[in-house]
Amino acid sequence: MEQLVDNLALGFSTALSLKNIGLCFLGCLVGTLIGVLPGVGPIATIAMLLPVTFGIDPTGALIMLAGIYYGAQYGGSTTAILVNIPGEATSVVTTLDGHQMARAGRAGVALGIAAIASFIAGCIATLVIAALGEPLTKLALLFGPAEYFSLMVMGLVFAVVLARGSLPKAIAMIVVGLLLSTVGTDLETGQERLTFGIAELSDGVDFAVLAMGIFGFAEIIRNLENPETRDVVRGKIGRLLPSKDDFKQALAPILRGTGLGAILGILPGNGAVLGPFASYTLEKKITKDPSRFGRGAIEGVAGPEAANNAGAQTAFIPLLTLGIPPNAVMALMVGAMTIHGIIPGPQVVTKNPQLFWGMIASMWVGNLMLLVINLPLVGLWVRLLKVPYSLLYPAILLFCCIGIYSINNSTSDVIFTAFFGLVGYALLKFGYEPAPLLLGFVLGKLMEEKLRQALILSRGSFATFVERPVSGGLLLVAAIMLAIALLPSIRKGRDEVFTE
Amino acid sequence: MASHETRDESVPHPRRGTQDMAAGLFLIAVALIALWQAQGLPLGTLRSMGAGMLPTALAVLLAGFGAAIFLIGALRPGAAFEKWSFRGLLFVLGAIISFALTVRLAGLIVAGPLTMLIAGAADPQTNWKHTLIFSIVLTAFCILLFKVALRLPIPVITFL
Repeated sequence: MEQLVDNLALGFSTALSLKNIGLCFLGCLVGTLIGVLPGVGPIATIAMLLPVTFGIDPTGALIMLAGIYYGAQYGGSTTAILVNIPGEATSVVTTLDGHQMARAGRAGVALGIAAIASFIAGCIATLVIAALGEPLTKLALLFGPAEYFSLMVMGLVFAVVLARGSLPKAIAMIVVGLLLSTVGTDLETGQERLTFGIAELSDGVDFAVLAMGIFGFAEIIRNLENPETRDVVRGKIGRLLPSKDDFKQALAPILRGTGLGAILGILPGNGAVLGPFASYTLEKKITKDPSRFGRGAIEGVAGPEAANNAGAQTAFIPLLTLGIPPNAVMALMVGAMTIHGIIPGPQVVTKNPQLFWGMIASMWVGNLMLLVINLPLVGLWVRLLKVPYSLLYPAILLFCCIGIYSINNSTSDVIFTAFFGLVGYALLKFGYEPAPLLLGFVLGKLMEEKLRQALILSRGSFATFVERPVSGGLLLVAAIMLAIALLPSIRKGRDEVFTE
Repeated sequence: MASHETRDESVPHPRRGTQDMAAGLFLIAVALIALWQAQGLPLGTLRSMGAGMLPTALAVLLAGFGAAIFLIGALRPGAAFEKWSFRGLLFVLGAIISFALTVRLAGLIVAGPLTMLIAGAADPQTNWKHTLIFSIVLTAFCILLFKVALRLPIPVITFL
């Protein structure tokens, strides 16, 4: 306990330096600015803004990136409430009641409660991370290659179970992602694999290039196909601060949402995406009058928003302690850390305590910033939302191109991104979900390394993964999850959750 | 699954899942390309895996999934193959490639507006006057932000 206080003190003394506060503020501001734009999710936002953090020291850069991430996340909720367009999967739920509140002239209250719920969830999640960070890091040091491998298998299984649409298609996407991760020079033998003789591919495919192409560009082409019907709330935003009654109604859902989101967020394999759905379903179940939901119930905004933010933050836990990114956004953070010379994993906390705890403390500071930035600037966001897409997407495209070019100062990266844009568009047309692919790609290299190490240790016997208790346990959990997802009744429920 | 099949028979002209069929063929194509690229790489043994082991194994697995998804589409009714928007593909991807080709050759001052104008052609609703003005303003902003403020080594003007 005492150590926790010491650590947090170190963190806050780092995060509260004038420079880092400034970077955190800037990150939150531009993150929200880009995140508010419809059709731009956190992944595209971070990839676009990555070059902005070059030239800053690693701690400052990560604090700023984390700010961009929360900003983008919160910007997505703003778009969901005001325009009824979810910026990404996690704000789908917010559109249900948030937009109805906005239509009823309570847009301000919806935005206000979303910000307050996010702030409360953020405060609690920061404490959770601080408390779990150190013990989990110690646990991670006990993990051998077999355990690491099994943990990642479990993460991938979760990602499959949580993906929308057909299971075989989701698994196939994981395999494609793993296959893509083998492109480039084999680390152990030094041989080039699947490079088509292209010199630029010998270092492998850059994650930002893949993510920007498959998520960013493919999405733009798809948006252009459907002539947009943007339903920006006209009329007044109204008062921002919820009344006492509103707050009383929202407090319990916020706390429940925080709990659900925080737990689901820790799960590898993008559990965070499930938080808002789970919270919404729970609130609808325990309320006295479920018919209010979908017609502007404040609990339907407060709970999911809290779950969303808590999950977004606890998703850092697997990354910071085990070095395993649980979702695509965290994978992008790995890329950003590597650019700044930091390899995420259990060694960060001992080698770079200032960075580790500074980042955790800055999460709290960032949440406070969001509250301060968003409430007064709502008018600006509304005006930004009225810019037509035909003007917006060329600008997004240019920013993306500059961002990709700047990562390695390479024009071939830009060309590869265009290629992956084509691939991503094809995947969408074939009904494939790109998220599992990205996770497979991110975990692929590490999985291959751990698989080889484990097999060397066990002299080529796969039994090692089952015989070692921790590794076997993780695989068992994965198998159970997969079996449950295959049961017909659960499958039906799963489809309902995602279509609701 | 059984219920699907009976419903299938009762419909006079069951729609086949052409989307899944195409999706399966796509995976098989990807797998074949990977196998072609991985041929000649040593497989090694389980005790010491060679460079080709994982790519080959994954490609075979992928081909299996491709075949399964193709069969699901062929045997069960499902979503139809969607039409592609070639206009969007051509101009969005064209804009990105034009950026890659011109940024070193001429600098951001040319690449910026060019990229945005080519991209603009992807949307029939584009207001050309607005896009032109915006492209110049935004390019100026990008130069100020990335070159002047952040000092990134991105070329601005290379032809003077």
